[in-house]
Amino acid sequence: MINWLAGIPLLWGKIFAVATFVGVIIWVWFRPKSFIFLGAPDKHKWRDLRIWASILMIIQIIVYLSF
Amino acid sequence: MHIGGIDFFIVVAYLVAIPVFGVYFKKYVKTEEDYFLAGRMLPWWVISMSIIGTNIGAYDYVGAAGGAYRFGIAQANYEWIGAIPAMVLSAFLFVPYYWKAGVYTVPEFLGKRYNIGVRVIEAILWGTFLACVLGVFFWASGLMLNEYLGIPIEFSIIITAAIVGIYTITGGLAAVAMTDVVQLLVMFIGGIALTILGFWTVGGWSGMVSRIIPAHPDHFKLFLPLSNPTYPWLGMIFGLAFVLSPAWWGCHQAIIQRTLGARSEWDAKAGMLFAAFPKMFIPVLVVLPGLLALSLNPNLVGPDMDKAFPWLIRNLLPTGLAGLAFAAFIAALISSVDSTLNSAATLWTRDIYQRFFVKNASNKHYLKVGRILTFAFVLWGIVFAPVTKKFPGIYVAMQTLLSIFQGPTFAITLLGIYWKRATQWGGLFGLLGGVGISTFLFASFHWSFLYVAWWSFIGAIVINIIVSLLTRPEPIEKLEGLVYGLVMKDKKIQDILSKRAEGGE
Repeated sequence: MINWLAGIPLLWGKIFAVATFVGVIIWVWFRPKSFIFLGAPDKHKWRDLRIWASILMIIQIIVYLSF
Repeated sequence: MHIGGIDFFIVVAYLVAIPVFGVYFKKYVKTEEDYFLAGRMLPWWVISMSIIGTNIGAYDYVGAAGGAYRFGIAQANYEWIGAIPAMVLSAFLFVPYYWKAGVYTVPEFLGKRYNIGVRVIEAILWGTFLACVLGVFFWASGLMLNEYLGIPIEFSIIITAAIVGIYTITGGLAAVAMTDVVQLLVMFIGGIALTILGFWTVGGWSGMVSRIIPAHPDHFKLFLPLSNPTYPWLGMIFGLAFVLSPAWWGCHQAIIQRTLGARSEWDAKAGMLFAAFPKMFIPVLVVLPGLLALSLNPNLVGPDMDKAFPWLIRNLLPTGLAGLAFAAFIAALISSVDSTLNSAATLWTRDIYQRFFVKNASNKHYLKVGRILTFAFVLWGIVFAPVTKKFPGIYVAMQTLLSIFQGPTFAITLLGIYWKRATQWGGLFGLLGGVGISTFLFASFHWSFLYVAWWSFIGAIVINIIVSLLTRPEPIEKLEGLVYGLVMKDKKIQDILSKRAEGGE
């Protein structure tokens, strides 16, 4: 099944991975604020789940660019 | 190798303390909802730690350390690209809809969205999988206690069953989640101690790398060539990151059940999202020990590579720390067993017993049935555990079964929430067709499960769309609260769900 793909350089793995992480960051910042904070007791900055998600993805980008 | 002295004391003290702590939560269990969903009172931080406690089992320690010993850091893909993006997606794409629907199980949600056929198929598949996995977990615990404490295997299995059974039967999800928090802390303390000592011994990161690189130049590359049969990079991205991982984090009953017990929608989402932080550091506990073992002892071959982790405990840790590391190992096992037990009982009570045998009984009745079924699963685990010894490939077989229906399950759940035109027949045929495609690909081409998952997912999506377009659309009132774009204010949702519950579906 994968013979015809065998020539693709490994670099494309990194490109796909980093694109995935960047895509997730962009996607979460398109989630409306009302959805992010729904059910939260207050709207403190630290409760903004988009920030949590972005931190996670940025760490992943650093890891995948390093190895 | 039997541990003794202070190590033995640490392990025994841990085994006594966990059930005592768990049983404390019995006083909060008065209803079925208290038992299966912790009274919907779980805060985000408990959910997140319980999710990771459930996710990481003793098999991960053995298998992941062995995988790292064989293939290097590529093993960490299962904890990074094979988990973190999917956990973010699950927190925003799936968890809010499950939580709003007020369901107890993922099959129950699919039953509401599609039909009873989908619910039953999913419930039987997950229920069977969880029940069989219990036997494997019990056998693993028997082996561990036998190996390290010198207790006979059969007696070790009964001890494990008793420890886990006592607090899971009495305290339900609250006891399971709270003990998971403690167990995760123990796992991290024990695992980090092992890793730090390992680095100290090999001369830090650079010392470890310089010992491994000459013989294994690819061991510090996250992506391996397509010629690698176990971790081809394309399969890691398309099969693992895009299908199996979202299916696991978005549709696995034992994982999702914690978020269903959240005290608010925000806590449900935050619980899943925050779980990704400890998840990111799991390679420190399970992958690095494999690499450290390789740098200290490159002579393990074949199946012995899976003994990298026990080898490290045995040869590296001094008295006291060995007990702590072994307690971490047991914590990983117990926190997976209790969650599996609780989720298996929830599935069989809600999706089978309550749906087909006794429909409109009192809350107390279902609480009692839940406890009886949990006890029955404890007994089942004890009886089934020795069977796994006779069939050593059973765990692999169960994982294969899981991968056969994970792709299709993810496909119909995704379309169910995000495409209101998906009909009950589209969902049913998408699920059946996807499972058929997986089975055919496995049987005919012997492809890697990573590729099979991808194509069964695509197949299930296509079948669902075609059949849905050929059948009558679902009425809007059936979809409200379950589908993106048709989510309403909470009170209205609850009124609709109450009416649905009164109607038995």
